[in-house]
Amino acid sequence: MIRRTLRMSGTLLTMLVIFGPLSSLVIWSVAEKWYWPHLFPQQLGFFYWAKVLQGDMLRALRDGFLIAIVVTVLTLLITVPLAYVLARLPIPFKPVILMVFLLPQAFPQLPVFVNSTTLLYRVNLGGKFWGVVLIHMVGALVFAVWTMTAVFKSVPETLEEAAINLGASRFKSFYSVSLPLATPGIIASTLLVFLYSLDEFTGTLLVGSPFVLTLPVYMYRTSVGYELQVASISALLLMVPGVVLLVLLERYMKSEYLSMFGRI
Amino acid sequence: MRLSLRLACLVIALPPLAIVVWLFFLPFLSSAHLSLIREDQWSLRNYYLVWRLYKFDILYTLWIAFFSLAAVLGIAVFLCGYLRVHVNRPVEFLFKIPLFIPFVVVGHAMRVLLAPKGTLNAVLSQVGLINMSDPPSIAFGWIGIAVSLIWKNLALAVLLVLGAYRSVDETFLEAARNFGASTFRQIKDILLPMSRASLAVAGAFMFTSMLASFSVPLMIGSGEPPQMVMIDVFYRINYQMDYGTANALGVVSYLLAMGVAGYYLKTITQKEA
Amino acid sequence: MVQVQVENVRKTYGKVEALKGASLTFASGAMTAILGPSGCGKTTLLRSIAGFIGIDEGRILFDHEEVTELPPQRRGTAMVFQNYALWPHMTIFENVAYGLRLQKVPAAEIRRRVLKVLALVEIANLTDVETRKPAALSGGQQQRVALARALVVAPKVLLMDEPLSNLDAKVRQRLRAELRRLQKQVGITAIYVTHDQEEALALADTVVLMDQGRIVQEGTPQEIYLKPTTAFAAEFLGVSNQLEGEAAAGTLCIAGQPVPYAGQVRGKATVIFRASDIQMEDPSASLRPGTVALQGVLEESLFLGAHYRHYIRLGDGVVMADSPEPRATGPVRMVLTADKVQVYGEQ
Repeated sequence: MIRRTLRMSGTLLTMLVIFGPLSSLVIWSVAEKWYWPHLFPQQLGFFYWAKVLQGDMLRALRDGFLIAIVVTVLTLLITVPLAYVLARLPIPFKPVILMVFLLPQAFPQLPVFVNSTTLLYRVNLGGKFWGVVLIHMVGALVFAVWTMTAVFKSVPETLEEAAINLGASRFKSFYSVSLPLATPGIIASTLLVFLYSLDEFTGTLLVGSPFVLTLPVYMYRTSVGYELQVASISALLLMVPGVVLLVLLERYMKSEYLSMFGRI
Repeated sequence: MRLSLRLACLVIALPPLAIVVWLFFLPFLSSAHLSLIREDQWSLRNYYLVWRLYKFDILYTLWIAFFSLAAVLGIAVFLCGYLRVHVNRPVEFLFKIPLFIPFVVVGHAMRVLLAPKGTLNAVLSQVGLINMSDPPSIAFGWIGIAVSLIWKNLALAVLLVLGAYRSVDETFLEAARNFGASTFRQIKDILLPMSRASLAVAGAFMFTSMLASFSVPLMIGSGEPPQMVMIDVFYRINYQMDYGTANALGVVSYLLAMGVAGYYLKTITQKEA
Repeated sequence: MVQVQVENVRKTYGKVEALKGASLTFASGAMTAILGPSGCGKTTLLRSIAGFIGIDEGRILFDHEEVTELPPQRRGTAMVFQNYALWPHMTIFENVAYGLRLQKVPAAEIRRRVLKVLALVEIANLTDVETRKPAALSGGQQQRVALARALVVAPKVLLMDEPLSNLDAKVRQRLRAELRRLQKQVGITAIYVTHDQEEALALADTVVLMDQGRIVQEGTPQEIYLKPTTAFAAEFLGVSNQLEGEAAAGTLCIAGQPVPYAGQVRGKATVIFRASDIQMEDPSASLRPGTVALQGVLEESLFLGAHYRHYIRLGDGVVMADSPEPRATGPVRMVLTADKVQVYGEQ
């Protein structure tokens, strides 16, 4: 009996801690007039939603989605083959290559991206769609290479050996044995790459703004501009893909995948 | 390996390597280079400026990172211990949520919550705890930043620490229970010592991430000193166009990240041996 | 010395009923072995006595006091695990002393008791135990330490969950005898779970045979082995042959061959006899009265070291018979005394 009350209060406390900070956001998004120190808005309504849906936010939302899709597709295409090679083939300099995709996680991003922005402007990609795509890909690749390599490693090698033993070429054994078995893991990491690009802030702020905006950068601008309703609506919209993904992928969530999300 | 396979591997490896090298490693190295150049000459003046202008900010940043890390690990160690022994799936799931909420949103949410005229103070004022003419500002100081970092990183910590605890075989805990160990003692005597290595790695990872935090202090910071180091780098570039000093500060942040994380890992692994 | 009683205990995991209303009394001071195949519920029963799992129905009593609701910390049992469960980050001394430390026994007293119990399980070498960690020891030594850890807290009941399964055959034999000796010396109530019938028969005062969550038979090792009450019991112990037969008054038909039969079973029957109880003779030798004789064809013999195992075709099936000498293939007569042929009706 005591045990059950403790569990219930523990769960309630957790809900308070997790949802508490987010609840103000939700209320702000439907508040038309809210003066301090009232606990609830004087007037609720969707005025700001209408305003937002006609304005710049839609463009930021659209651009953000487009960039995320492009980043995801490109990352998928160039990472899966490399991950397979790293998992299975004895290529030279493998530890060095793996380090290249590990070190970026260890260092602060901002000072590096400041200089990357200069490099991108130099080739006329600064403030452009493709510049933002490329800066997103840095983080996306670093995450994707490690997770997809781990996914391929988890496919038992003996299955491929059996195929090769029976005469399959290396490519065929990749395509008909490893790839199908690795697909669930690949899907999970791909969705996480999509989310990463959607939520990316630092690189986009440096490279893209003020010409190319994604939702996080738009949200930042409206928040510091004290347009609290608009910012909150944007924040809410930003949360939706994440929570949807969480619910869908709960089963596939392994800590290795999720650690990268500690940095976003 | 056959030549054709080798060539294929080279072609496969090139695009991802090229992007990361061009847009991360080159800029990384160029930080070091640019930090030593001022007005087109080799100079150590940038580092001197960093020392003069930003030494307090560096300490401020380190303080926030240490404080937040201590809080996160302190909570996670015991929370996860409890979750390991008495399973509570709803709580575990709830703690995964902050992982999927970007730092910018956390920043905005905390800003709204903790501002002087924010919702937290509104709630507290109902019970009369607030001075109405001068409500306290948690948001725009180090506490607001720390709370945001703790909130977001707690989700990651719970994931990693619980994972480490779960890799401790159940019979070790059963044996302890058998001889009379309470939940607290199971955490202190069995789970914690057996997970030290994983905890050290998680701690080092989170510390460097906290040190490098940018979007949160950007949203929550007051715009006045002291500031976190990444804000200083950003302002130096944006408002003063001073790439030299900004990169010098960047190099200092790289060294801090490497240094503290390396030291932490070394002391823990030495204790194991 | 504590008596353990288990009354009508039921436990269900999801769709599987692991314990289906088991009732038992474990005599105080005795070593009771719970024997059975995988999944029979023996480990579930042991762990519910320890308190690691809760039961859905029923009661557990220690010396007539109910402990069913008590958590494992407060039951006063001590368990020896199959994987030893020695904490790898603590020294051997700390491992054994842990239970006493939790009981807040003073340090000098802890030291005395730990060293005494380590001598009892024959892990000598004083200086080593305070610095060495369990990983430095062999499997057999680790299990001795685990045993010491369990005994040092003077528990009411000693519970052992297949403690010797992870050890090499030779070490197992040696430790088996020592366990027996120790239990008798300390006089503690002990419950020993195993799937190894030889181990159960060798160690126990009482053997409890379980199958599919129920208790099949309870008795001394001799009773269980020589007088199994069900086909399952007869089949599980020893190397058994199981055949179909037809029983009538005075006659039992096995694989089409009639033999004298004095039992009560009628109709379709399961006939079980052990490979070690069969004598082989030349078919032409004269039949001795009061014996059961079956005619078959010896097809193959395998040399197993201690004896030969012969495979004899009888009707549609193959019967195993053990003997110390080799035998040529060909027709052979198998002879058993009537009491070694167990007959069970439809159940």
